[in-house]
Amino acid sequence: MTRKLMIAAAMLLFASHRRPGVRGWELKHRLGKNYMKVIDILNSRLSQLGLRIKTVFEEEGEENLDRARFYVTLAHPLTMSDLVTAGWRIDEVAALAAALSVISSRGGKAPLRDVLEVLETKFPKWKAEAYLERAVRRGYINKTDDDILTIGWRTRVELDQKTLLKAVLEAQPQEKEEQKEE
Amino acid sequence: MRRTLSREELERIIKICENVERMGLDPFTVNIRELLAKLRRMLEENPELEYYVVDAETLYRIASLIAFQHKWIEEKARSLFIDSQMVSTRVAALDKKALAQAFLKAWRPIVYLEQLTPQRLRQGLDHFLSLPPRPEGREYGWRLSEREYRLAEAAERLESEIMAEKVRRLHEELLEKAGEGGEVDYWEFVKGRDFEETFERAYITSFLITEGYAEVRRNPLKGEIKLIPNKGKAERKAPTSLVIPVEVRRDE
Repeated sequence: MTRKLMIAAAMLLFASHRRPGVRGWELKHRLGKNYMKVIDILNSRLSQLGLRIKTVFEEEGEENLDRARFYVTLAHPLTMSDLVTAGWRIDEVAALAAALSVISSRGGKAPLRDVLEVLETKFPKWKAEAYLERAVRRGYINKTDDDILTIGWRTRVELDQKTLLKAVLEAQPQEKEEQKEE
Repeated sequence: MRRTLSREELERIIKICENVERMGLDPFTVNIRELLAKLRRMLEENPELEYYVVDAETLYRIASLIAFQHKWIEEKARSLFIDSQMVSTRVAALDKKALAQAFLKAWRPIVYLEQLTPQRLRQGLDHFLSLPPRPEGREYGWRLSEREYRLAEAAERLESEIMAEKVRRLHEELLEKAGEGGEVDYWEFVKGRDFEETFERAYITSFLITEGYAEVRRNPLKGEIKLIPNKGKAERKAPTSLVIPVEVRRDE
């Protein structure tokens, strides 16, 4: 079992394709048909380190584990200082949050023009476009030929969309809060 | 005129249905009941086959829109009926830091490594060593192995020894034919039993001349070329080149 755990950890942590993550059938090929048992044990070991294994199915409502993708993600939220240390700009994360909130609230699909309109309330047009372009490149957002934005593969893995919408609706502007504290 | 208008109207309805679905707009902004009533009226006014086709497509689009409405309600229920307009307004009201903090609450980034491990490096080396040699052989620029180098050297040495022996024999033959202080006609000397032999003799003779074992005397008026053998190797002080083409006759 220890050997199988090592193989599973290496497969999940070392990106061997262009995208991170491993397909269920790949795990089955290396670990045998009871691969989910190995994944469960590994998941409990990883949770001690603040990580977890996330299973993302090909389509919503599908339950075919062989076709699903398995990823290792953080188990707990990052802090603002972690974010900055990891090389993210707060502006960029804010733009991503705004774009994904708009797309998500519209059922996972929104015209580029509408998303840009919301982003332009905070950023100049060129910056908003650049942030969206980067989000598309990273896989957070998909852009179709006719300029419709949809939820990308990375968002489906990394983001709890309901939590994001709830957090956006509940959030208080930081400047006002700071004024209150004063 | 009226028929054209009806057709345009139908195409407009198809376009509206397509746009709502494609752009993910609120499907309840379209009044389906009104569209169906309009469709029925137009169908009664134009009872023709060509019209039926467009009408059927319009009906199909309206049905798709109803399916989209169903999906829309499901999505809304799943997202606790959060209104998109409300979200957009909220996003516009929040500052960047608050948005980033909201994102962090829902974000669990993927953890993965892209670096090479010593184990993978070893696997790569094993794989490289197990690869069979390429079928077309070694390409130019590759380093020769010690064995290949020795074989190539031996082959070259053998070739030069054979050539030296051929030059020595032809020199002796030339001396014999020319006699003491004499000369031999070039064409008579190089001529062999067939073209291959003639060519080979001409080729070796060129070495005799270059190395100084024979001199060439050319008479351009008569078109004669004579070979005068030297007993030993003569030193060349001012060498010049002379081209003697070996012709092939059709009957040979």
